[in-house]
Order: sequence, then structure tokens, then C-alpha cells
Amino acid sequence: MSDGIVKILDGNTFVVSDPRGDIEASLTDPTGLFSFDTRFLSTWVLTVNGQRLNALSVDDLQYFEARFFLVPGTGTVYVDAKLSVIRQRAVGDGFHEELTILNHAEEPIELTVRVDTDSDFADLFEVKDALKKKGTYSTRIDKDGLHLVYERETFVRMTTIAASAPAAIDEKGLTFVVTLEPHDSWTTDLDVVTAAGAGGRFVRPKYRHGERRAQPNMGRSLESWLEEAPRLECDDDRLRATYRRSLVDLAALRFSPLIAGGRSLPAAGLPWFMTMFGRDSILTSLQSLPFTPELAATTLQALGDWQGSRVDDFRDEDPGRILHEMRYGEMTAFEERPHSPYYGCADATPLYVVLLDEYERWTGDRSLVRHREQEARAALAWIDDYADLLGDGYVWYQRRNEETGLENQCWKDSWDSISYRDGRLPGFPRATCELQGYAYDAKVRGARLARLVWNDPAYADRLEKEAADLKRRFNRDFWVAEEGYFALALDAEGHQVDALASNNGHLLWSGIVDKSKAKAVVANLLGPRLFSGWGVRTLAEGEGRYNPIGYHVGTVWPFDNSFIAWGLRRYGFKDEAAMIAEGILDAAGYFEGRLPEAFGGYERSLTKYPVQYPTACSPQAWSTGAPLLLLRTMLGLEPVGEHLVVDAALPRSIGRLELLDIPGRWGRMDAFGRGRVDVEKRRTRGRRRVTSSRQRAAADRA
Amino acid sequence: MSEPIEEFFERLTRGGPDRLPRRADGSLRIDLTSGTTTERWFITMHGGDVSVSHRNAKADSVIRTSKDEFEGMITGRVNAMSAALRGVVSLEGDPTLLMLFQRALPGPPSTAAGQGAAATGRRT
Repeated sequence: MSDGIVKILDGNTFVVSDPRGDIEASLTDPTGLFSFDTRFLSTWVLTVNGQRLNALSVDDLQYFEARFFLVPGTGTVYVDAKLSVIRQRAVGDGFHEELTILNHAEEPIELTVRVDTDSDFADLFEVKDALKKKGTYSTRIDKDGLHLVYERETFVRMTTIAASAPAAIDEKGLTFVVTLEPHDSWTTDLDVVTAAGAGGRFVRPKYRHGERRAQPNMGRSLESWLEEAPRLECDDDRLRATYRRSLVDLAALRFSPLIAGGRSLPAAGLPWFMTMFGRDSILTSLQSLPFTPELAATTLQALGDWQGSRVDDFRDEDPGRILHEMRYGEMTAFEERPHSPYYGCADATPLYVVLLDEYERWTGDRSLVRHREQEARAALAWIDDYADLLGDGYVWYQRRNEETGLENQCWKDSWDSISYRDGRLPGFPRATCELQGYAYDAKVRGARLARLVWNDPAYADRLEKEAADLKRRFNRDFWVAEEGYFALALDAEGHQVDALASNNGHLLWSGIVDKSKAKAVVANLLGPRLFSGWGVRTLAEGEGRYNPIGYHVGTVWPFDNSFIAWGLRRYGFKDEAAMIAEGILDAAGYFEGRLPEAFGGYERSLTKYPVQYPTACSPQAWSTGAPLLLLRTMLGLEPVGEHLVVDAALPRSIGRLELLDIPGRWGRMDAFGRGRVDVEKRRTRGRRRVTSSRQRAAADRA
Repeated sequence: MSEPIEEFFERLTRGGPDRLPRRADGSLRIDLTSGTTTERWFITMHGGDVSVSHRNAKADSVIRTSKDEFEGMITGRVNAMSAALRGVVSLEGDPTLLMLFQRALPGPPSTAAGQGAAATGRRT
């Protein structure tokens, strides 16, 4: 792997090691075996005759399985290449490692094989913030193996390590004395099992299939996951590779919360964000709905079950609010962090209703919509009763947990993401524009469901009236008339936070934009200040805080662009949507089909390739979902009644495109399209505009 | 038998809007230890109706904790999920039922009194 570390995972259990398979973590170093947000192994080092090993190669067999080929010796010259060591590791409830040593020599040899072990039982948050532990450590050795134990009051976590071959076990690891005949081999199984609570009996890692060979802890194997997704046929090899990469990564990102009965939803990112996130799970479910609709179903169920039910300032919880993030580690257990779960986000709640409706439109599964009526109504009530902090009919956010809560409760959640043109930051509360769009869409879609499924036309009328009223006020209060776009936010005084940002694209997606204003908004989205050639920047060039490598202030986010493209389609701007799809999918080709969370906002003609923004998590769920949503928008897939309507507008570079066996209320259907949009020409025209605007800017400075 | 716990179950059986989701369907036994004695509450939930008794019978889900901790939970001083992660509450059986039951627990007393920003911002 490019970063030199090897990651394998299954749900929220994962192992991060060096290319030798060794783990030597410090409090700040994020390697180890992690499960439920706790590090269960911080040391796992293999030596042969006291020597560390050298990596010849690593095979990432599957996302849950890796194989390390090693030889003894250090440095570039191999001291003894007459010995091979193979570690094959798979993640289950802990991990299983098959350690094999091969003697290639003509003589017998005697070896001392040692695995050093230790655990610091760090909470993921402690690894991030380098915090000290408050509990006590102990070790115990019995017939089941070596037990590493951490206790803090009633909080107990334990790691048990055992081997199939005879071993001398001490508190710091396992030693094997091995005699190998010429061309002989030796093997041992090593099992590492994690447990919460001290009473847990030792059980071998379970892979829920009863076989020794590891399979992911999911109801369905990777093969059948791929088989059930629609098939993509096209002339473009890179697009085919990107599509497959997205499906495989989406499989790896599946997370099965305890309440979901074995079903899974998309977690936010691998490996550090393998947990339920309201926003990420919903947006990824929306992106993948035409491909893997069961993810949306589980997301709706799990987030619905965890819906807020009381006012709790520490967790920023309100009745009806959909959670932001769930964590299971020690700091959450002792309320040093609010993630049990934490509710501080302002968009997941309206988006919950949006997903519920979109799910019904695709799948026709009315029983789920009926079952979740109470949650949907509570979510819609939250918009009016709890999110309208200033009583003016807009969705506002301001954290009540001042210490560990989130300041920005929208998707652009970094500290400087919401700014005026001159770079100043507004105070709190803030009402960002896309939140109003989501609220509008939630009301419109809620009304549809009220009429269709909940049999409450009066409620539907009320929601529609509220939606129309919100749209009218929004188009008046957020509109920056002289520039032709919507302000990023309103500040507490009701003034426009007037920077030009990608959020305008989300507004198109939500349908809150007056038809008469759409053309101007689109011109800005694809104009030289926002459109880089690869995609729409988070913040426009020329704004006070613009920085092409600033997290939310100039980079291009693939997920953001996929929703912008959807918005463009909604308002009939097919060619513009194709342009964005072409840029992002082209970029994916530079990352072997795996789009990063974000890349630099540099002009495409300047860098020739997209410059990746360094992030810890890859793949990221909503980047993985971006190519899927772009395929949907390019093909113009839209459920209408019981049918799937196809209205393709593909960039010419893609050529022929067929998406076969698209699941939905129609059973399975195929969609075809042929590239006709001359993106290159449109982009060149755009570039000429950039040049002239740069010349103008230079002239202004002079 | 302590008063707050009695009152909590009394309120639960009376129901009212949003106390327990109508989907909650099944039985839940709560075993509360205090010294050497165990107090048992047996709750059945069906279609929004809740009934409570002291039956010691097999249930779909079981919650085991000390009486003190449970009193903390039903008065909002103790968060149930954090308590479960700390290991002071043990949970068994149908996770969805447990999940839905915890929704009936109140928030912390300080915020319930209406000092939160949400409470002040609420349009009524």
C-alpha cells in the first residue's frame, strides 16, 4: 500500500500493521488491533532467532484478509534467505493468523520463534488526542492462553492470545522452539480474541460460517454482493474499474450495528470511522440506492431506532433528532466524550425523511415507511420545534455541549468553513443554506408519504404549505441578487454570510431554488470561480478564505459533486451534470477507481492530474458512493410510478454505457446510453473564461 | 420498593404520546439488585400498550443492574448507553426492544428543567 501500512477489517474490528505484519504502536501511533473503538493489541512483533523480519511482499487478498511474505534479516542485503516466513491474517471477532516457516536449506535448523504482545487498550479518541489512561493493567496465563486485561471500575476489556502449536507463554508474549528438517515447514495458528467484561470465556475467532477459513462477518459474501448489484457494460475500461472498486469498497464499509440483526449499513470511512454516522450513512445510502437498496433500509431502521427522545445538552440530543455519531470506547463509557450517541448535526434529521421517501420511490417498500411513520413525524417536528433556534422558520445550529460538541453541525464541519466574502467568520447560531434546502425537501417528501402511506391528507397539506412558505422566504432572504447565487448562510442578525460556495448545488438537489434563479446559480457553479475542470470547489476562488488545499474552503469533494450533478439534472441542466460527472470520473482514474475524500481545487489545466488531499480514511463511504450517484445522474435514472425512466446524457468520452439489472419496484431493468455531450468543448470555453477573468483580476490589481 | 421507580412504571403504563414507539412488541424483565435482594419488573409491550407486573418469568429481553443505577436512569442522572458500555448494566436478548425501552428514559435533570438552548428556542 502506498502509505506503507496494511489495513484489514471486518465491521468495526480492524488491524493496522506495518508491511511485515508487525504492530508497534505508541499512544499517538494509530496501528494495532481495534474493535468497538478500543485498541486491543498495541504490540504484535514477530522475531526469528531474535531477528526482525523483512517484507518481500504483501497480498491484500480481501479487505478482511492479508498475506505477508517475509525473510529474516534487516537492511537491503538478506542475511539468510534460506528461510521463508508467511503470515496469513484474517479479521473476525479479533483476528486469526496462520504463521508458517519454510526451511529451504539442505540442513536441519533449530529456531526460536517469538511473538511479543502487549495492549494499551487505548480509546480511539485517546489515540487521536494522545491522552493518558486512568485504569489498571494486568496479565494472566492459563490453559486458554495469555490474557491481557484492562480495568477501570466496572469497565473491563480483555485480549486473549492463544496458539495451536506448543508454546512457552510469559506475560510479554509467546515463544516457540522449532526444529525444521531440510525442506520442511512448521505452522501454528495464532488466535487473538477481544472481549468486553472479565467473565468472557475464550472462544476462537468466529467467522460465522463454521469453517476454519475466514469469511467476512456479513450475511452475504463479497461474491454474491457483487453478483446482486447491477452489471455495468461500457467501452471505458477505467469506468468499469471504478464501478467495481466502488462496489467492493462499499462491501468493506458495511457495518452491522447490534440492533440491526445482522443487516448492515454504510459506515463513514475505513478504518477510523467504521461506525454509524447519521449524515454519512444517509448520504451514502442515497447514492447507492439504485445499486444496493438494502443499505438504505438498514440505515433507516438503525437511525430510526436511535432517534433522539429527550433533551440532553451534553449529547446535543433533542426529541426527534437523528444521531450524528456513535462510539463504544472507554471515553464514551465514562462520559468524557458525548458519543453515546452524539446528536450534534443539523442535517441528518431532515435527510432521514428525504431518504425514507427516496427509498419508497425506488423500492416500493411501503411497509418500512409505515413502520417508520412515528420517526418521520418526529423528525419533521424537530425541524420546527427544535432546529428553529431563532423562531424565524429556518434551521439553525448552535452546540449546547461547549466542551466536546461540534461547532459546525453541517457537512462542512471544520472551524473555518462558513465565512463571509471578506473571510470573517459569523457567530452562532448559524443557518447554512443547504440545511434550508434539506428541510424544504423533507417537508415536500413527507407530504407525499403522508398522502400515499400514512393516510393523513391534512398533515400533507400542512407540510406542503410550510414548504412553499419556506421556499418563498428562502429565495428572498438568501439570494445575493447582484451575483446570482445563494448566500452560504444567515448569521444570527439575519445578515447574509455571503461567500459563494458549492452548497448552491445542494440547493438545486433539494428543489428549493426558484426556477427563475436556477440559470444564474448554474452559471456560478460551472463558472471559473467554482468549477476547477475536475469538479466544483467547496469555496469559490476569490473568496477571502479560498485555499485550493483548504479542507472545506477550496478543495473539490467527489461526494459534494455527485449531489450537485443530481441537482443539475433535477433542474434540467443535463449537459452541465455530464460535465461534472466526466471530471470526477476522470479523476477517479488517477486513484485506481478509489476517489479520495477530497482533492485540491487547482485548475485542471494547471496540474493535469488531481492532487489528493491527505486524509487518514480511505476508502471514505460517500466518496465510494459518488461514482454510483454519477452513473445514476448521467443515465438520468428516475423512478416514475411503477417504472424506471431513463434519460441519458453522457459525456462523449464515455461512449456506450449499459447498466443492467437495476433493482427496484419494477423488478430488474436495464438502462442504455451513448455519449453525446461534448464536455471537452464546453470545458475549453470555460477555461477561456478563466483566463479572461484572471487577466481582468490582474488588471484590477495593476 | 422505592418511589421513583414505581412512578416511572406507572407513567409508562399510562403511555401518552411518544413514550414508547408503537413498534415495541415483546416482553422485558428488569432485575434490580440491592444488597442481597432482587426486585423484578416484568413489562409487556404491544401496539402501544404497556403492562407491568413483578412476575419472574422468561422474557425476550433482560436488563440487570443495581437498584441505585436504575434509579439514576429513570431520573435522568445516568445515561443508559454509557452505563451499558461501562458494564454496570447487563443486557440480554432482543436488542431492538432494549433500544426502544431506553427511549422512555428522561434526559438529565438540568436540561429537562428547560435551561437548554433548544428549550429556549422552541416555538410553542
